[in-house]
Amino acid sequence: MSARVILVTGANGGLGRAIARIFLQESVQNFVWLGVHTRQDQARKLLGEFPERCQCVELDVTQAATWQRTVDRILKAHDRLDVLVNNAGRHADGLLATMPAQAWDEVLAANLHSAFHGCQAVLPAMISQRGGRIINIASLSALLAPPGQTNYAAAKAGLVALTQSLAKEVARLNITVNAVCPGFIETEALGGMSIEERQAAQAKVPMRRFGRPEEVAAAVRFLACSEASYITGSVLKVDGGVL
Amino acid sequence: METNGHSLKEQIKNMMVENLMLKITAADITDELPLFGPGGLGLDSVDALQLVVALDKNFGVKIRDPQAAREVLRNVTTIVQAVEQKLAA
Repeated sequence: MSARVILVTGANGGLGRAIARIFLQESVQNFVWLGVHTRQDQARKLLGEFPERCQCVELDVTQAATWQRTVDRILKAHDRLDVLVNNAGRHADGLLATMPAQAWDEVLAANLHSAFHGCQAVLPAMISQRGGRIINIASLSALLAPPGQTNYAAAKAGLVALTQSLAKEVARLNITVNAVCPGFIETEALGGMSIEERQAAQAKVPMRRFGRPEEVAAAVRFLACSEASYITGSVLKVDGGVL
Repeated sequence: METNGHSLKEQIKNMMVENLMLKITAADITDELPLFGPGGLGLDSVDALQLVVALDKNFGVKIRDPQAAREVLRNVTTIVQAVEQKLAA
């Protein structure tokens, strides 16, 4: 497998680190850029584990300018960018009737607008190099639309639609664009759940357990690999059978 | 304008054939042939996107918005003019 340059956003979280790790383990020639923003303490552990093959880069995914700076930096170092994983995102749950406008705006910006900026930033390079892979990390919320997540569900559903539409635009340019919809995954995001809430959630999953970050990362890696070259515009659930 | 023995027009036509994987030769593309629309070369918006990227990569010509793209990508002559403007700057 030839060397690839990968950018993973939200790389400080459990899922982002798992995605970064799977690409680093895939080939000793791969280089992974770890997009981080407010925190990078966990992402930095990967630098020790895979010296000289990964690098943290400050990236506010809601700002077009930082995206461009990041892509310029990557292209200056490698002259290519093969895979973008739009993994960064955030929650601000609450009922719509009393949801502050800021909670709506920030969740849309972090989960949807971010992907717009990211895709726009990487596409010139992918077009120029005649190929690329974009994987957008959506959520089962995009498909299930649970109460209390109008902002998050709307953003992730928008991300799915962006994925499918963009896939058609760039299909003949050898660029695939796909979405992964994780269900309940054992990361920091579930850290606030009580034991009762965890049990209730697990009871809804036919597999009767939460997923592991590595299981989502495996789906991402598959969509980025050469065997997935005819897969684009798809939505791959990793949810233990919930939907 | 000559560069490396090939005129700028030839370079641009060759760039179009190569990047867009056209099934015609550079010689088949006349200077004033419209690139888009009826009676033209038959390119679409995705082809325009590829041309925008190629012009930036090969000549440093930055086309910032769809309106500018429509002006510059009218035909080979207008593309050459845009590149010459960039080279002269």
